[in-house]
Amino acid sequence: MTPTIEELIPQLKAQIIDCLNIEGMDPQELDADMPLFGDVTGLDSIDALELVLLLDKQYGIKITDSKKARKIMVNIRTIAEYIQENAKP
Amino acid sequence: MNDFYINGAGVISPQKTYDDQTFLSEITEYADNVLTCVLPNFKDYIHPFQLRRLSRMLRIGLAAAVICLRQAQVQTPDAIITSTGSGFQDDTAKFLSEILTQDEQQLTPTFFMQSTYNAMAGLIALSVRCRGYNNTHVGRGFAFESALDDAMMLLHERNAQNVLVGSFDEVSPVQYNQYARMGYFKKESVCNLDLFDTQTSGTLQGEGTAFFVLSSAPEPHTLCRLRNVRMVYKPTDYRELANALDDYLSQNQLEHADIDVFINGISGDNARDHWNMAIRQDRMKSATEVRFKHLTGEYATASSFALWLGAMILKTQQIPDAVLVKPAVLPATMNTVLICNHFLSRNYSFMLLERATTSC
Amino acid sequence: MSRRVFITGYGVISAIGRNAAENYQSLIQKKSGFGRLDVLTTVHRDTIFACEVKQTDHNLCDMAGVSISEGYTRTALLALIALREAIGSASLTENDVSDCGFISATTAGGIRELETHYDDLQNPQKTGDFLAYLDTADPGEHTERLADLFQMRRYIGTVSTACSSSTNAIMLGARLIANRVVDRIICGGSEALSKVTINGFNTLMILDKGHCRPFDENRNGLNLGEGAAYLVLESDEILKQSRRSGIAELRGYANVNDAFHQTASSPDGAGAYTAMEQALAMSGLGVADIDYINAHGTGTGNNDLAEGLAIKTLFGHQPPPFSSTKPYTGHTTSAAGGVEAVFCMMALQHDTLFPNLNFMEPMKEVGIKPVTEVRQQAGLKNILSNSFGFGGGATTLLFSKCL
Repeated sequence: MTPTIEELIPQLKAQIIDCLNIEGMDPQELDADMPLFGDVTGLDSIDALELVLLLDKQYGIKITDSKKARKIMVNIRTIAEYIQENAKP
Repeated sequence: MNDFYINGAGVISPQKTYDDQTFLSEITEYADNVLTCVLPNFKDYIHPFQLRRLSRMLRIGLAAAVICLRQAQVQTPDAIITSTGSGFQDDTAKFLSEILTQDEQQLTPTFFMQSTYNAMAGLIALSVRCRGYNNTHVGRGFAFESALDDAMMLLHERNAQNVLVGSFDEVSPVQYNQYARMGYFKKESVCNLDLFDTQTSGTLQGEGTAFFVLSSAPEPHTLCRLRNVRMVYKPTDYRELANALDDYLSQNQLEHADIDVFINGISGDNARDHWNMAIRQDRMKSATEVRFKHLTGEYATASSFALWLGAMILKTQQIPDAVLVKPAVLPATMNTVLICNHFLSRNYSFMLLERATTSC
Repeated sequence: MSRRVFITGYGVISAIGRNAAENYQSLIQKKSGFGRLDVLTTVHRDTIFACEVKQTDHNLCDMAGVSISEGYTRTALLALIALREAIGSASLTENDVSDCGFISATTAGGIRELETHYDDLQNPQKTGDFLAYLDTADPGEHTERLADLFQMRRYIGTVSTACSSSTNAIMLGARLIANRVVDRIICGGSEALSKVTINGFNTLMILDKGHCRPFDENRNGLNLGEGAAYLVLESDEILKQSRRSGIAELRGYANVNDAFHQTASSPDGAGAYTAMEQALAMSGLGVADIDYINAHGTGTGNNDLAEGLAIKTLFGHQPPPFSSTKPYTGHTTSAAGGVEAVFCMMALQHDTLFPNLNFMEPMKEVGIKPVTEVRQQAGLKNILSNSFGFGGGATTLLFSKCL
């Protein structure tokens, strides 16, 4: 069964924190609707590439176009929505 | 040629050297032919958020660069020049293994990015906001010497006043296996502190990083003066090497007897140390001899450790027991240090250091 | 007094030719080297195209005059072929060569051979032909190999600053002459394609699966390439002594860093701007004196925008003719600065501009257009060559034609 967006978000947060090695950050602190990259989080385009790899490994989603990646990775919610539509079991 | 001063140093090595409160007073022993760095607490030098992505080598190098700049009291140098013989071997191997075992799928971008040889120089530039000259030398056993030459030229051209120049190399099983096959490493197990008592060929694998601020003007905290560097590539015989040394010293208006301390870059390899030993015998007999590769192991940029050692000897006017070859007579004052390094008897180099006068 | 530095010869091998003459013919015939990877083995062969030198290692050995059993890496073979041509082109004698300094640049080094023989090289029990490649993975190896072959022991060095490597090798060589360390030096770089390079750039998502379109609004990344190029640099004094003349004078150079990001250029092109500005200042020339810019122009969104903005800021709305030759050769990364410096020599000698292939529509943010057709009798006197790289590096060279 495909998880709902609300189920996906906490799972995704934990995976992102783990993947990007953001020591000491509580998943609660990462707001699903705030911009994922930029001055607030300090995350950058290299982190985005690591997340592309995360989506491939965890959800079987392959993104090969950087413009598309940018559209998907606005915030955690947009990623979750994309996973829900495209995840391969 | 101008005067060049070493105004700061940051060294992370298989000995505890990151802390300038002590000078090789605690010595670490290694039993398994591979010497790895004694690490500081990286959070003392690098922002935790920046630390999260950095590989071990990048952390070590950046921390050494920060230590060095702090000691030199320089916030942003005018130029950054790094050197490495083998680069980021660990990340290269990780990326390569992923390629081979995962059939070129699902590869980690960070491994690739951080395996580029100039990743260190770029990272430091980014961290200290240095928008000036940036270069990386990777010519094996000459990498560090070339970087120093580059730095001295920049100062001479008046394109910089403070240059951050450094080295980094890390141990790697991939290289170990190949060097062992080629007879570059010892077959038998040797404790590093007994390295110079061995009568066999090969040496121990080592690693380290050393950064320096090289400046055109002295400061109260100047460690020493650097005269210049000479590289001798694969001399055809001993005479060629010895003549190169004589020429080098006379270019600097020095006689053999003017050298107070001779830092001998032998690696405990009885197949490759002959010419360095001969130089000690015929030309450096009156100098106090110092050796260091039992403390660091061998790596392409090990001469950078020797530069730090020489600079510290001149600054402190002390020679730590761990590096002194006995029996020894210590000169009352130590004014001139000659470093003679070799890497696998392919790359020979000479460096001359002088005590910075107190009046500066 | 620092000395003047002249270029007296060059050699090049790339996807568009095995030597300088072939490269020139391809450039004026608008023949690109872009296509399927036939020589390199990779699972991406049908999805990632590149600009490959269509010669097996055996063929390269024949061209270089060495045997495959000697363990030359592909990077060293490409280098050897271009180096021989450079030496011949400057009419250097054997003695001249052994008195030359040698600075070579690479990032790949022997990584292609390491990835091919990785497990065997790790296995102490295994023996075979692969043993010729022991200890050849590092970037300094090819420099020592070639120095040994040509007895160049006077001053050797290897530089590696990613995609600006060869440019920095040339600049270092010029400084070694200016500072009287050497009188004559051969500088350049070499880069063989490998799985590591293809996959590495692929993980960065900056490869265009189609043919790259530098400076175009719809550009979508770069194409990788391989090749090698070397230039012979000599001091004015030694040229006078030997009564020879140069092709061009290396009149300005600058290396700066924009300290903005690990892999990307500052979006306003600060590094590129400063590098060009400082090279101009060193030469004493003004913006109006520049007749052509061989741009870095990789075809990535980030590079071309940054470089385009820098050109526009420095030169205004009507910059001198400029083009990226990377659609011909691909991005030969470490070798690119050498290959493009050689193209600059050809441009000066033939008074011809080479077009920026595949350009259709100017970038919205900048609006400037590169040269899109071969232009002869271009009236070239002074040209700039730009190279930028990972790590924030930006290096510019300024060549002036010898009259």
